[in-house]
Amino acid sequence: MSVKYIPVQWNPNKWKYNAVMLIGVFAYLWLFIEWTPAIMSNDGRINGQIHNARAFGSCAFLMLTVILCIGPLARLDKRFLPLLYNRRHFGVMTLFVAITHAGYIINWYFSFSASNKYEALLFANTSYGQLSGFPFEVFGIFAVLCLALLAATSHDFWMKFLTPRIWKRIHYLVYFAYISVVAHVGLGILQDQQDKIFIVVFIGGALTVAALHILAALQERRSGDPDALSSGEWVAICHASELREGYAKVARLSGEERVAVFLQDGKISAISNACAHQNGPLGEGRILDCLVTCPWHGFQYDVRSGRSPAPFTEKVPTYQVKLAGDQVLVNANANPPGTFVEPVPLPSGA
Amino acid sequence: MAEKDTPYFVGFLPIPAGLKLFLLVVSLSLITGFAAGGILVGISQDDPGQAGFRFDHGRQTVTGVFESHPYPMLHITMGSEHLPTGKTIMVSGQGKTNIMRGRSDELDGKIVEISGVIVQRGDLKMLQIAGGRRGLKPTEEDGVVPVAEDLGTWRVKGEICDGKCLAGAMNPGRGIAHKACANLCLIGEIPPVFVSTKPIEGEEYFLIAGPDGKEMTQDTYNYVGQFVEAETRIERRGNLLVMRMDPAKMQVTP
Repeated sequence: MSVKYIPVQWNPNKWKYNAVMLIGVFAYLWLFIEWTPAIMSNDGRINGQIHNARAFGSCAFLMLTVILCIGPLARLDKRFLPLLYNRRHFGVMTLFVAITHAGYIINWYFSFSASNKYEALLFANTSYGQLSGFPFEVFGIFAVLCLALLAATSHDFWMKFLTPRIWKRIHYLVYFAYISVVAHVGLGILQDQQDKIFIVVFIGGALTVAALHILAALQERRSGDPDALSSGEWVAICHASELREGYAKVARLSGEERVAVFLQDGKISAISNACAHQNGPLGEGRILDCLVTCPWHGFQYDVRSGRSPAPFTEKVPTYQVKLAGDQVLVNANANPPGTFVEPVPLPSGA
Repeated sequence: MAEKDTPYFVGFLPIPAGLKLFLLVVSLSLITGFAAGGILVGISQDDPGQAGFRFDHGRQTVTGVFESHPYPMLHITMGSEHLPTGKTIMVSGQGKTNIMRGRSDELDGKIVEISGVIVQRGDLKMLQIAGGRRGLKPTEEDGVVPVAEDLGTWRVKGEICDGKCLAGAMNPGRGIAHKACANLCLIGEIPPVFVSTKPIEGEEYFLIAGPDGKEMTQDTYNYVGQFVEAETRIERRGNLLVMRMDPAKMQVTP
């Protein structure tokens, strides 16, 4: 959280996160570029530029695969949530690795002719009417453009400027970028590859991404947030006895709108489940130091008012709460973000 | 582990004790996974074979009868150590350019001296020459262009490549991943070469011409880098075999 925009809000965990990812990427590139030629039987036969292009290209694919695995993994097992915390930095790293791959390709395959190399990239192969021999380079160009857009708008300034809803939709482009990369590799190098190891790594990576997303979706369907039971504008969320100090019960009100009902100091409060930062699930967060703390990036809110503690300015909508016997009811009409609502004491014996 | 018992990570707070071991294992797995990936993918690259510029042979200067169509070639009458007399060699300019750029068609049939570096893959050789008189010295002397010998119609299987990358200017220099680069070479009128899966008349590599014996037609670009089957006339020019490729008589095979 920050009250002003600075390039990166560094903290020890971000340093550790970036260090682990950078070590992984450098290990991949160093071993691929420097070490494998010495143990291959065809040492030195593959042009250095092509060897390097393959190293950076395959690394970018692996990085994007990891990035897309983090989301569903965190949904399946909350212990993976720390990997989500600084994923944007890993995404920006991926862009630079992908651009390096593109640089090697353009400066090798598309240079040395009488034409401009960037124009040549677009006109050298125009066999768009066929699958085999299709100009797979266009998929790579599209993926790099998507990653560039995502990296350029990755800062919180853009999220605030565009609103989290639009920002999130733009950032779904990462899925199109990945599909594009799969097409780029599948219609390109994979068509020539004889050795099976790369084929297994590539198909295995893509299938892992798909399988994890399907598993996470199935789990969400099985144990997703229940629909609130409506009775006019007041809707039943849960029994008071189900609430646990410092945690929330989440229920779906209508459409995508969800309410998180928290118990703090024996009193019940309700706020929107969507964090003002990236729409993170506040109801899956916990109350730390009297503040609801988002599980994604640690944004915090006073559960009674939906306001971040001063000097921060983030606000989420709140809801009126009442009890009907043991039943916790919430008024489905959300209050404007930041509206204070008096918490309702938990009945004795609940 | 029940969700309520999961240690709660907050980015700006110290890592909870209950998560430290898990995150350490995940971090080490990520690093190990990337390292293993680098090795596995690196060593699984296919061997493109021995090919490349023969700088070790030094500059080769040979004299012979020049023919510019369908693509520049020299029927050598006075050879060098690595380009013997009697051989017909394809000739290319620097990069992805044809040597005829800025030169006259009147060179056809003349005795010329050319000088350059050999690009070689096995039996396939091409000579890359420099621009201007340093690469090609024309004379006024007429030579005798060998009469083309028709070897009949053949059904062939193989791949259409640009001869220079295939010979080793780039390695690997063939296949789908290289298709755009090959097309760019062919647009620059680098001699195209067909790699046959089976030797024909003892040869594996063939210079490609269009159905009329002139340059390869642009429709053929759609087939570059793929495994194709074609019906083609083959002729011998000097000791170089030339295929007259008609895209209408060509198909991609699985």
